[in-house]
Amino acid sequence: MTANIDRRSLLGGAAAGAAAVGLGTGAKAKAVLAPGVRKRDFAGAVAAMRKVVGDEWVFADPEAVSPWKKSYTPDPYGKHVPVGAVCPESVEQVQAIVKIANQFRQPIWPVSTGKNMGYGMTTTAAPGQMILDLKRMNRIISVDPELCTALVEPGVTYRQLKDYLVENNLPLWIDVPTVGPIASPVGNTLDRGVGYTPYGEHFMVQCGMEVVLADGEILRTGMGSTKNPSAWQAFKWGYGPYLDGLFTQSNFGVVTKMGMWLMPQPPVYKPFVVRHKKMEDVARIVEAMRPLRIANIVPNVVLMMGAAYQLAMFKRRDEVWTGAEPITDEAVAKAAQANNLGMWNTYIALYGTEGMIAESEKIIRAAFAAIDGEVLTQEDVGDNPWFHHHATLMQGGLNLDEIGLARWRGDGGGLAWFAPVAPAKGSETQGQVELAKQILGKHGFDYTAAFAIGSRELHHIIALLYDKSDPAEEKRADDCYRELVTGFGERGWASYRTGVHAMDLVAEQFGTVNRAFNAKLKDALDPNHILAPGKSGIL
Amino acid sequence: MRRAVFIAAGLALAGTAQAAQKLGEVQAQRSPEQVYAAVCGYCHGKNVGPVIRGRALPASAVEYIVRHGQNAMPAFRPTEVTPAELKALAAWVEKSSADPKEHGQ
Ligand SMILES: Cc1cc2nc3c(=O)[nH]c(=O)nc-3n(C[C@H](O)[C@H](O)[C@H](O)COP(=O)(O)OP(=O)(O)OC[C@H]3O[C@@H](n4cnc5c(N)ncnc54)[C@H](O)[C@@H]3O)c2cc1C
Repeated sequence: MTANIDRRSLLGGAAAGAAAVGLGTGAKAKAVLAPGVRKRDFAGAVAAMRKVVGDEWVFADPEAVSPWKKSYTPDPYGKHVPVGAVCPESVEQVQAIVKIANQFRQPIWPVSTGKNMGYGMTTTAAPGQMILDLKRMNRIISVDPELCTALVEPGVTYRQLKDYLVENNLPLWIDVPTVGPIASPVGNTLDRGVGYTPYGEHFMVQCGMEVVLADGEILRTGMGSTKNPSAWQAFKWGYGPYLDGLFTQSNFGVVTKMGMWLMPQPPVYKPFVVRHKKMEDVARIVEAMRPLRIANIVPNVVLMMGAAYQLAMFKRRDEVWTGAEPITDEAVAKAAQANNLGMWNTYIALYGTEGMIAESEKIIRAAFAAIDGEVLTQEDVGDNPWFHHHATLMQGGLNLDEIGLARWRGDGGGLAWFAPVAPAKGSETQGQVELAKQILGKHGFDYTAAFAIGSRELHHIIALLYDKSDPAEEKRADDCYRELVTGFGERGWASYRTGVHAMDLVAEQFGTVNRAFNAKLKDALDPNHILAPGKSGIL
Repeated sequence: MRRAVFIAAGLALAGTAQAAQKLGEVQAQRSPEQVYAAVCGYCHGKNVGPVIRGRALPASAVEYIVRHGQNAMPAFRPTEVTPAELKALAAWVEKSSADPKEHGQ
């Protein structure tokens, strides 16, 4: 298999040889300094930061910065490469670094675990930034088994939190995005990410933050700034304007602690998949699902996985389709059938006592029987790897199965998520599928997509998969993505989130007043614009 | 509720060696087995990446690939897998024997 490690180059030349033969590591791009920052400013900032965190935790020469340069997102013009990285281990160090950044006007881009894969990882929206890498700050500060809450630092991965709960026999669940082991509650929540249990809308179950502001002051949101706070992780809203939202998908502060709610482990958990055979069935599925979600009969964030997306997880494209042109629905259907998949595979789960689950199951089975959906359980599907994957996710379990997506099309690891939102209505689906196929097809890419229903909204999650080792294809992927944003934008379908390569363009979809408002906040809170310029289109 | 899947099975962690930390403390240095279980093993030897154990991959190549991310593999930074952890991990991978339960892609 071509994607396997090339043994000859590895065994022969080891590290240097691996570099020379080019292992598609993406570390080739050259970083430039931010506008207005001179070489001696950068050098001054680096030297001052070394005094704060120690020499070994500041990275400023191009090879040393390599681990922060890797990204799946397209960057054909090399605009998103960081110039350095600084890695504090405490809030005090973050405060000191922010002051240095102001002094030398050196912009810094905070990440928690930096695994925003398909959205930019540890690359930046505007050039010349140092990554403020908070992964070393990975303390689990408190867990309250009665209130079912936790307070964590940015570097705590979902795996670390889960290990803690399991080892201490705490019957609490976490809720993970699909890539839980290496990602974090703080990073994911701050980008307003999602998971697939009843606690899947992460910002909804976030409660209280500690934030280092651009002037180095520490702000605690919600109840956290009161004297001897008793309800910091229990009551979200605090008093006066609700501030937490300001620190999500933004560049108004560096979050150094975050509170979150955890789901008590239910006595029984029962996952299902509902299979449908035709592409156009997605409209009926959404119509059936909306009332079930709004009434909370289906309590979790639901994924309706297209067959091509499912296939791309575990198959290589040439196993299914050898054409250069986009894969056809017929070819997808054939491969789906051979792998016990539907054209749409809708994953839902029930949580509670046996009695509660039995009642809900009756309602759900009736709703899907009415639209020719095949409702299947673990026993029905056996060891189907796709069911196993989603059954793991819907109980907050950990795996990285979906990273296989990045290998669908060649070895280069190209992936950019395009995620427009619409109301959860069947009538919103067909037009989107057609438009997506048309734009992707024009640029030669496959429609590998899913829909998700949080509650009243429909996320269309399109994985733009391309081969990043081919510069022409990387450029095409970039063009294609931009056309998706504007084409969908025209029709009222704007993105809930985007990668560093398209933050400005997506911000444009939200209009001039919105942009000007964010710009005013930025000027007030970070007058030197040292925190993550370009994040969400805010300079 | 004959068909229900009970919770206990779902809570079992992937990998054996656990490295739970104490409240208020940063994660301590992990053994190669722990790093492999918490990071590498989710892809390598599962349906996602190639098998890397039992292939005598040179430790220096392993270190390089971890830091740079070969092809579709993400890179792992010194903040995620510390320099000391990586050194031990790479040596361990080089010397490791194959695990028949693993299957590559
Ligand atoms: C196959 C695959 C499947 C995926 N599935 C999902 C999914 O189901 N759900 C989902 O939500 N995502 C998904 N993702 C996208 C992404 O990998 C996850 O969202 C991941 O959790 C984000 O990375 P992270 O947690 O390391 O956050 P980080 O990369 O640390 O943070 C993300 C961004 O938030 C901001 N930020 C982070 N920390 C701070 C801070 N302390 N202060 C201020 N700003 C900060 C920064 O802008 C940063 O770039 C998937 C990716 C892949 C490749």
